[in-house]
Amino acid sequence: MNDLSLLTPSLLDDYVTSVEQVWRQKQTDLNSDTVFRYGAYVGSAIHVFSSLDRAMDTAREHISLQEKNGRPVVNGSLILASSLSLSKGRFSRSWHAPPGGLWGCLILADTFLPIFRNLIPLIPGIACCEALRREGASSAAIRWVNDVLLDGKKQAGFLIEGFRSPVHGENFHLLGFGLNLNNSSFPPELQETAVSLAQFLNHPVDVNSFTLSFLAKLRYYTGLLLYEEEQWLSRGGGEEYEGEHPLIKRWKELSDTLGRRVRYGYDVVENPQYEAVVKTIARDGALILKHDDGTTSVEHSGEIRYC
Amino acid sequence: MSDEIDFDEILGKYHSDPYEYVDIHAVHTGRVHFLVEEGSQIDGVSGEWKHILGTPLFEITRERNSKKITGTTNGVVSSIYSELEGSFVEAGEKLMTIRHPLKKKEIIESILKEVLYIFPAPERAKYFFSLDVQSRIEKKSAREVSVKPGDEIIIMSLMKRDTPVYYSGEKGVIHSVYFKPGISVDQGAPLIGVCPIDKLPLIEKIITRVKADWDKKD
Repeated sequence: MNDLSLLTPSLLDDYVTSVEQVWRQKQTDLNSDTVFRYGAYVGSAIHVFSSLDRAMDTAREHISLQEKNGRPVVNGSLILASSLSLSKGRFSRSWHAPPGGLWGCLILADTFLPIFRNLIPLIPGIACCEALRREGASSAAIRWVNDVLLDGKKQAGFLIEGFRSPVHGENFHLLGFGLNLNNSSFPPELQETAVSLAQFLNHPVDVNSFTLSFLAKLRYYTGLLLYEEEQWLSRGGGEEYEGEHPLIKRWKELSDTLGRRVRYGYDVVENPQYEAVVKTIARDGALILKHDDGTTSVEHSGEIRYC
Repeated sequence: MSDEIDFDEILGKYHSDPYEYVDIHAVHTGRVHFLVEEGSQIDGVSGEWKHILGTPLFEITRERNSKKITGTTNGVVSSIYSELEGSFVEAGEKLMTIRHPLKKKEIIESILKEVLYIFPAPERAKYFFSLDVQSRIEKKSAREVSVKPGDEIIIMSLMKRDTPVYYSGEKGVIHSVYFKPGISVDQGAPLIGVCPIDKLPLIEKIITRVKADWDKKD
């Protein structure tokens, strides 16, 4: 089915209960029912559009309008669109968003403590990669921070932008997502580097079904971040999260970045800065790179390309 | 900021003691083991990408996790609390002081930091000016770009999460920019120094006077 307008919060709730929760219980020692409760607000309102300029802009307008009209902004609201006409990636790079893909934005109120907030960018990559693997793309992998690749080509990309609401000054994270699903043509500049799931599997996919799977996983991992925050506070909190956060652990399991030789740069396409080997990622998600002379760099932002 | 500045007093201070004293504190609770002593020469970070670590200063161990803390600025250990060797210390406890020799540019910056409104980095991240501020800087210069509380002036980039940073401080023009796009800035380190427009002549006077005085001395 390829009609996003059929997606509703109650359909997502049913999917989570009947499919995702059952699968999750078999996969983890954590109390997944509790984790799902923490993330239940993700997708509690879903706004579907046939076409938008940019989903992030629509999210900003939605928040502003709600406030100006004296209405609350539903935390976890989703903006979904069948196509975007003015979509862009980082640094104003082009991002092709025709019908057939999944394009949208998740609105999250900033209720996270700082050390946990830094892990938000890992969530969409993990959720997407898991959904792809369950759909049959078993080689799907994450490239730091959250690009999702199928055989080295980019299938999905994510951006997170902060936004302060104009009336009440509330801070939001706008989690923008772009997933190539059934769209099969790319502009010339993206043909060598982008791929859709349908191209990879050699058959079209059920967009609604895939979207439910992706959103259910977004719900789980957002819940996991909040659940772990609560657990950490009940242990007394502190200056940093002790041990390895389950999000970092899962990210490592799904990523093909560790051990790879990479080009690094803040804007690696326009201005690559150096080449090094990825040693690991730190507890806070930072990339730890080993240079040829044996020294290491720790990068908290920027991006990489595999050599 | 006062309009009256006693240049002789300020310059006299830097002439008699042209050093910055950098206090080094425990980064978190733990048992401390010193790796330097009083008088030790300290190297700061170096390398093209600031990836070569400075001299190891001390090791701090908490719950069997050991962390080596290295120097960020060059100088000499001028004092050290060696009685804390092997002891459990609290986060933020002062462990030693490094005497860092100041260059002319650093002295000017140091004086300016006392008279400008310094807007610090909220988190360790990379920073760049917001599109609006950047285009205004490109059209004129930073010193002609005015900012006021509530303005979105800088974008903080951390793990592909871009967050607008809103200015909170005195209204004025961006006099000093302390960050470079693509280079990480530590939490609390200065991002920009803002000067009220009517104080600009005073700031220029400080720079001219320090330069002239230091050149005369050299």
